[in-house]
Amino acid sequence: MININELEDRWLKYKIKSYIPYIVILLSIAIIITIFTLFNSKSVIDKTTVAEIHKENTPEIQVQNVVIEPIKDIPNIEIKKESIAIPNLEKTTQRVIQNQPIQEKNMNYTVPIYNPNKKTMLAPSLDFMSKLQDNTLPYFDNEREVTVNKPNQEKSVQKNTQHTTAQKKQKVQIEPIKKQSSIQIDRQNTHDDINQVIKRFKKNNNPALSLFIAKKYYQLGEYHQSYNYSLMTNEINNDIEASWIIFAKSLVKLNEKSMAVETLNKYIAHSSSNRAKILLDEINSGKFK
Amino acid sequence: MKSSIFRNSRDVFLDIVNAKDYIQLDRVSTIYQSLKNSVKKPLKMILLYGKPGTGKSMFLTKLYHDLSATQDVYMYKTPILDESEFYKTLAQDLYKIKYRGELNFTQFMKVVEEHDVGEVPLVLLDEAQLYSNPLMEKIRLLSDTRKVKFVITLHKTGKEDLIAKEHFQTRIWESIELENASSIELKIYIQKKLMKANCFDSANMFNAKSVNLIYKLTNGNYRDSNKLLYTLFDIYTHYEDKGDSSKMNKNSVSNKIIEMAALHTGLIHD
Repeated sequence: MININELEDRWLKYKIKSYIPYIVILLSIAIIITIFTLFNSKSVIDKTTVAEIHKENTPEIQVQNVVIEPIKDIPNIEIKKESIAIPNLEKTTQRVIQNQPIQEKNMNYTVPIYNPNKKTMLAPSLDFMSKLQDNTLPYFDNEREVTVNKPNQEKSVQKNTQHTTAQKKQKVQIEPIKKQSSIQIDRQNTHDDINQVIKRFKKNNNPALSLFIAKKYYQLGEYHQSYNYSLMTNEINNDIEASWIIFAKSLVKLNEKSMAVETLNKYIAHSSSNRAKILLDEINSGKFK
Repeated sequence: MKSSIFRNSRDVFLDIVNAKDYIQLDRVSTIYQSLKNSVKKPLKMILLYGKPGTGKSMFLTKLYHDLSATQDVYMYKTPILDESEFYKTLAQDLYKIKYRGELNFTQFMKVVEEHDVGEVPLVLLDEAQLYSNPLMEKIRLLSDTRKVKFVITLHKTGKEDLIAKEHFQTRIWESIELENASSIELKIYIQKKLMKANCFDSANMFNAKSVNLIYKLTNGNYRDSNKLLYTLFDIYTHYEDKGDSSKMNKNSVSNKIIEMAALHTGLIHD
């Protein structure tokens, strides 16, 4: 005698059991696809991060076009936050530069009067040459004011800031009476920036980064740190002159003059660096303390 | 569809060996004809072997049914395991001699030699794998006298292969192997069997899909298929009795009910 209800229950169990392998396979496929998708998205994020880092490393010059019109009441022209990405330095610089009014140039145009009875001979005019010279120079000067220093000149960015601004003042402030436009460039020398560079240095061990850190610390008067980072730079690459200079300077600042002299002597013997010789002379003569 | 159709269809698949229920399939008919021809030949012994449920007993029954009208055929469906009893039964059936006491092989051989009836009697032994080895050896010696012809059926297993090898290798002139049905043969088998019992509606319920599932479950074995189909129609009968027509699709056999029948018969397990 067949117990239909029991048989139906058994059949239901059998059916569920028979579907288990398919469910397991489907779940496995779903898990594999999910993992694959996650992995892919992660790699895409990594790629974008790398691209961003690359972007950070590449020199980026953002210049805002300033239209200066020869109107009497010249409005204040302000270049807001001119971010200057220095390769290997990641430095954002902001400066405030007074923009000088541009004088109207006296342009003499000769307008020939038409006389039908008079025969005129046409000759090529070379006035444009002089005009070219007149016009290009101020433009070039302005351009240079905004243009960022090259990567290898980071030192001059640090040290000669005032000097260059002074020069610019000489060039740009032709008429300091009319202070109608200004260019602002601010510089940030914060520890956050250094920390960011330290992080990057820990990742890629780039001696350029450690040298930058050493220089920054030196500028900030943290000679222990500048000593450490210049030492690290020398360990990575012992042919970087600037690193040896900072190393020696840091030693002098840390009252280790004899060690600085010894180091410089060894380096000069190794590389015959002129800068190192000059520094050695300065240390020995007491000019550099 | 009449209410009794499922009950009738169910009874068609009762596991009873009856020559009238023999279903002619192309391949099976060819084999049967071959067997009939072999019987007419002066062979000492014919071996019919195959896996259980491939129709050996049905073949033997059909052969007995067909030949009994024209010649002396004696069929023993159940093996006579006692040796003396075996000889006494043969002596009584073949030569109409009744022995009350023990009859040993030597005495029986003497009886066989003495009785020359002209036409060689045909002895059909089903389930011969159950006979002991010494008795099988004596059956071989009996067939060597050419006074008795044997048709024996054996299950094809490792042990039976060994028996065939040891006792019949040199003597069997004809050996016929029976196999399970193919999917197409199974469909014809089911439909012919149902149509033979005038269950045409039930026969039409079996399409290729449902027969394939049955074939998958039974591997084309006739005995297993009969058991499954009996249970299948039993389930239908139950639903019919309960008046649960929602679970009965009368146009085709439901896979669910096939699987339920397979669960009940032990072909699959939950």
